[in-house]
Amino acid sequence: MLILTRKPGEEICIGPDIRVRVLEIRGSQVRIGISAPKGIQVHRSEVYARILEENRAASQSTRQQVDRVALLWRRLQGKPDRSGGMP
Amino acid sequence: MRIQTTRFGELEIEESRILFFPQGILGFGDLKRYVILDHDREVPFKWMQAVDDPDVAFVVTDPQWIIPGYRVVIQQEVLAELKPRRVEDLIVLVILTIPPEAPEKATANLQGPIIVNVENRLAKQVVLVRQYTTRYPIAKSPYFRSPTSKEASPEANLQEPLPASQILVLQS
Repeated sequence: MLILTRKPGEEICIGPDIRVRVLEIRGSQVRIGISAPKGIQVHRSEVYARILEENRAASQSTRQQVDRVALLWRRLQGKPDRSGGMP
Repeated sequence: MRIQTTRFGELEIEESRILFFPQGILGFGDLKRYVILDHDREVPFKWMQAVDDPDVAFVVTDPQWIIPGYRVVIQQEVLAELKPRRVEDLIVLVILTIPPEAPEKATANLQGPIIVNVENRLAKQVVLVRQYTTRYPIAKSPYFRSPTSKEASPEANLQEPLPASQILVLQS
């Protein structure tokens, strides 16, 4: 990680097109302004972290698990239980 | 072409069915190619199997089955990577997470939907600006309730095809 120290009003450039400016420091919080080309999505990292974590958990799904969800779905929709088990 | 998969063994798939994610999906940035496989014709869940990693597959579904009226608002430039000619070429899928011991508690990630351009097969996972949940219980779906339960809603009897998820493209 590249570490820089900036004062309020000072900027950092990431590549030629992305600028990060320290706007204000208030107590323990820093207000940061970002200008980036419109195609670049800017998010708090917790948002990305949550999605990444969810993707990881989702990638563990097994056919058996989906079979169980499918069974519940079909039962609730009133469709026949093809496994031959009790309705 | 032939691909190896942990869950389905060896599969023969047409290359024209392969979706290409230029950036992969979050956490799986190296995997760019996926193919959609049916789980079972009678349920709306499908598998998005990585072509280049047999172990990686996601359960996906049309979010209209989970939360009717779900729509996404995306900036035009974010969609540009998918090179859409018409917004009608874009479809929305959401990834499901299924807790191992409690399938009824499966959830859908509404914050990070997958957008696919069905015309050129380009796809991406978009992080929505609006704060949706990454864990929307599928049990809340009107289609996931017994028609006789008092919570059943009139929409629960709708047959396919479902209305397409609305994609609102923000012009700059």
